[in-house]
Amino acid sequence: MVMKIRLPQKSILTKKFIKEKGMKIILFLSAISAIIIIFSIIIFLFRDAYPIFQRIGLGPFLTGMRWNPVGQPPLYGAFPLIIATLLVTLGAMVIAIPLSIGSAIFISEIATPRVKIIIKPAVELLAGIPSVVFGFFGLIVLTTWIRISFNVPTGETWLAGSILLGIMAIPTITSVAEDAISSVPREYKEGSLAVGASRWQTISKIIVPSAMSGITAAIILGIGRAIGETMAVMMVCGNPAYGLIPQPITNVFAPIKTLTATLGIEMGEVATGSNHYYALFGLALILLIITLIVNILATVILGRLKEKQRKSKKKKPVISYEFGRKIKQTFYLLIGTIVIAILFITVGLLPTIGIITLIVVIYYLLRKISVKVQQRLAFSAITATIIIVIIFLGIILAYIVTNGVGALSWDFITTGPTNLGRSGGIFPAIIGTLYLVAGAIAIALPLGVGAAVYLHEYTKEGIITKIIRTGADLLNGTPSIVFGLFGFAFFVLYLKLGFSLLAGQITLAFMILPTIIRTTEEALKCVPQSLREGSYALGASKWQTIQKVVLPPAAPGILTGAILGIGRAAGETAPILFTAVVFSDFISSSVLQPVNALPYHLFTLATSIPGSQQNQAGTALVLLLLVIGIYFIAILLRNQFRKKMKW
Amino acid sequence: MISTDNIIRTENLNLWYGEKQALYDITMGILPNKITALIGPSGCGKSTLIRCFNRMNDVIDKCKITGKIFFYGNDIYEPGADAGEIRKKIGMVFQKPNPFPKTIYENVAYGSKIQGITNKNELDNIVEKSLKNAALWEEVKDRLHESAMGLSGGQQQRLCIARSLSIEPEVILMDEPCSALDPIATAKIEDLMSGLKKKYTVIIVTHNMQQAARVSDYTAYMYLGKLIEFGDTDQIFENPKEVLTENYITGRFG
Ligand SMILES: Nc1ncnc2c1ncn2[C@@H]1O[C@H](COP(=O)(O)OP(=O)(O)OP(=O)(O)O)[C@@H](O)[C@H]1O
Ligand SMILES: [Mg+2]
Repeated sequence: MVMKIRLPQKSILTKKFIKEKGMKIILFLSAISAIIIIFSIIIFLFRDAYPIFQRIGLGPFLTGMRWNPVGQPPLYGAFPLIIATLLVTLGAMVIAIPLSIGSAIFISEIATPRVKIIIKPAVELLAGIPSVVFGFFGLIVLTTWIRISFNVPTGETWLAGSILLGIMAIPTITSVAEDAISSVPREYKEGSLAVGASRWQTISKIIVPSAMSGITAAIILGIGRAIGETMAVMMVCGNPAYGLIPQPITNVFAPIKTLTATLGIEMGEVATGSNHYYALFGLALILLIITLIVNILATVILGRLKEKQRKSKKKKPVISYEFGRKIKQTFYLLIGTIVIAILFITVGLLPTIGIITLIVVIYYLLRKISVKVQQRLAFSAITATIIIVIIFLGIILAYIVTNGVGALSWDFITTGPTNLGRSGGIFPAIIGTLYLVAGAIAIALPLGVGAAVYLHEYTKEGIITKIIRTGADLLNGTPSIVFGLFGFAFFVLYLKLGFSLLAGQITLAFMILPTIIRTTEEALKCVPQSLREGSYALGASKWQTIQKVVLPPAAPGILTGAILGIGRAAGETAPILFTAVVFSDFISSSVLQPVNALPYHLFTLATSIPGSQQNQAGTALVLLLLVIGIYFIAILLRNQFRKKMKW
Repeated sequence: MISTDNIIRTENLNLWYGEKQALYDITMGILPNKITALIGPSGCGKSTLIRCFNRMNDVIDKCKITGKIFFYGNDIYEPGADAGEIRKKIGMVFQKPNPFPKTIYENVAYGSKIQGITNKNELDNIVEKSLKNAALWEEVKDRLHESAMGLSGGQQQRLCIARSLSIEPEVILMDEPCSALDPIATAKIEDLMSGLKKKYTVIIVTHNMQQAARVSDYTAYMYLGKLIEFGDTDQIFENPKEVLTENYITGRFG
């Protein structure tokens, strides 16, 4: 057969060439946006924090024992706030770690497929509840419960913050730990069963130890989440004057004031350019640095894990196995000592000895009982953890639904508020939220998809992709209140956008960017290589291939990411608190005007408008329905997508 | 080889993975202290069958079984039967070496430890004896407390054999134990097998016809989930009764 070869005309060639090059540059710019953003955040926080370090010194700022910026003289001691943050996080972890690990084991090893299909989305749903809704629930139900059942003067305490944060950290820890446990090779499990081990012996002696580094990373991520949480802790912790730490330090019934709560409360009323203002940026910088360290730690552990899975043949380890074991033993010994020390300080010598003897006795009794009974006990305990988690979810949902449903009506969602929101509806807040979310997704989606396409299609795995991914991970771990402060310093003041819809949209967009990058990358990974090769074989260029062949099958996955981003943006309060929102009933007609938003409306009603209970619950319900509805669609879509993706 | 001496016997064994049937009406008997080889083309159900003998298919969610499997006359799929107890008597070595990410010592001691043996001397003895029986002792005796992941593939597989010997089972199931190994490592494991037969009953799945002929006393040929022919290894290889078997072993399979 004779072929006629038609050479492309030169002008077309150059046009195409320019387009290809241009696309590559645009994609590269989107890819590095995550890095640019994280650096801008650090720079702007530092810029506005620097004056306070200069005026009172870094040392006194970090170690000062009192925080009272409005006193005479003003005191800027961040130490108690840092301690408070750590204490609340510690308490949260005491609650979240056992429940999450138990749930993770249940989901990956014990649940039948049918149970798993229900339980897993339920836990994910918990992640979808906006933090201001948690705060609202905590403020009304949890603090009252604490006040009455422990007979203390106020329920707004460290304990309340820890319980709430603990519940909020559960989905993060559970899902990462569950991934780690599920990816333990099936061969290990079979090897253990084949020598007669019971299921529980296999889980406790082989599977969980093999997944230990992944579980550790999960816990660290949970800690990062808890440290950075703002709205919920701000609403339930009491926030004492001077930020005084509990007396004695183990008094969980004392009010407590964390770094994030301080920012959330005081940022709104501070004069720009005052010492107080700079000091708040100092706090934000401390907060950011703590969370960055925590997240880098998690990234390093997870990264090492992935590398280990990729290379089956290992190089000789740097430290010998025995030595590694010694380190581990020392580590556990250290933790044990700390726990005993804490016990000793809290309850005194005799009870400590009592508790330790009890544990030792139980341990020996457990070893005496048969393997079968051990397994039954262990499985019951694990099942109990997941039941507790589901009960938490149930209580929160049930409370909000039963109390909110009374307020719900057509008028409620279509009219504006009257009498400071005590009566009337929430129409402006709904519209404001829709505006904010639409703008955020319009900015984040192209940027995030572009970044993911560049990462996945244009570069080989290497140092650049590593840096960009780390940037996205760090951005993902950045506390939402830090986004808020950055947005204020950069958009509101520096770019002179003022309190505006636009400033809020961009701030939210930055916050959801990592979610979109990650989910898009997942989706691109699922597009088989053969499709791309087929397209190149037909002479298509890279960008044509991506546009026509790669993106269409990845679209449902990308959409899932977008929906998750929308859900997150709709529920967040802290990033818009100082950039976009006002408590008002007017509907903005320009992106340069401020707006009201559902989470902010709820926050204001719950914390400053007495007598608005009915409408608080109504707003919470609308917000919850909106966000959970969005997540639910995303979960359904993803499941559908996963099924189809098995080529 | 149905006989009153059978250590394992299946009766009308059928198995489904979800909707898909993988084993059809298998009735066969395994004689003690012999090596029985299972051969057949890929996907014919060899692994599925051998994994029935120690109830390893229990870990697969959609797997359904009808029929009976007797171990010394007791049905191992009976409602009250304890899979753990059965697996202590019927050990298994897998196709891909699967040591745990622990030390060599811990790998071998694992089975005894979970049975509640804690005495250090006793464990030391068990580890040494099992590694010797698996012909690995000389190679690893100086590095017992190093990670098992640092061993070569052949060494790892012998470690897994040692691990299954450590709890003194009566039967050892081997699913293509040499398929991931080079000829030298394979030869070592084959040598080992003839020694094992004195104490243990061995059932081995293999794709390597010479291996089956070399090491086994009896051979079963499977095809599309059915047991086609089962007899003396010599008879199967020299004088098969079924055409299907003949086609397969003469390589005229298609
Ligand atoms: N977990 C499973 N789920 C569904 N089907 C399965 C599963 N395991 C095996 N099968 C199917 O059952 C049949 C028998 O598989 P099996 O692994 O027993 O074959 P085999 O003879 O061991 O093959 P090979 O020589 O390749 O190892 C095959 O068709 C296989 O696709
Ligand atoms: Mg097989």
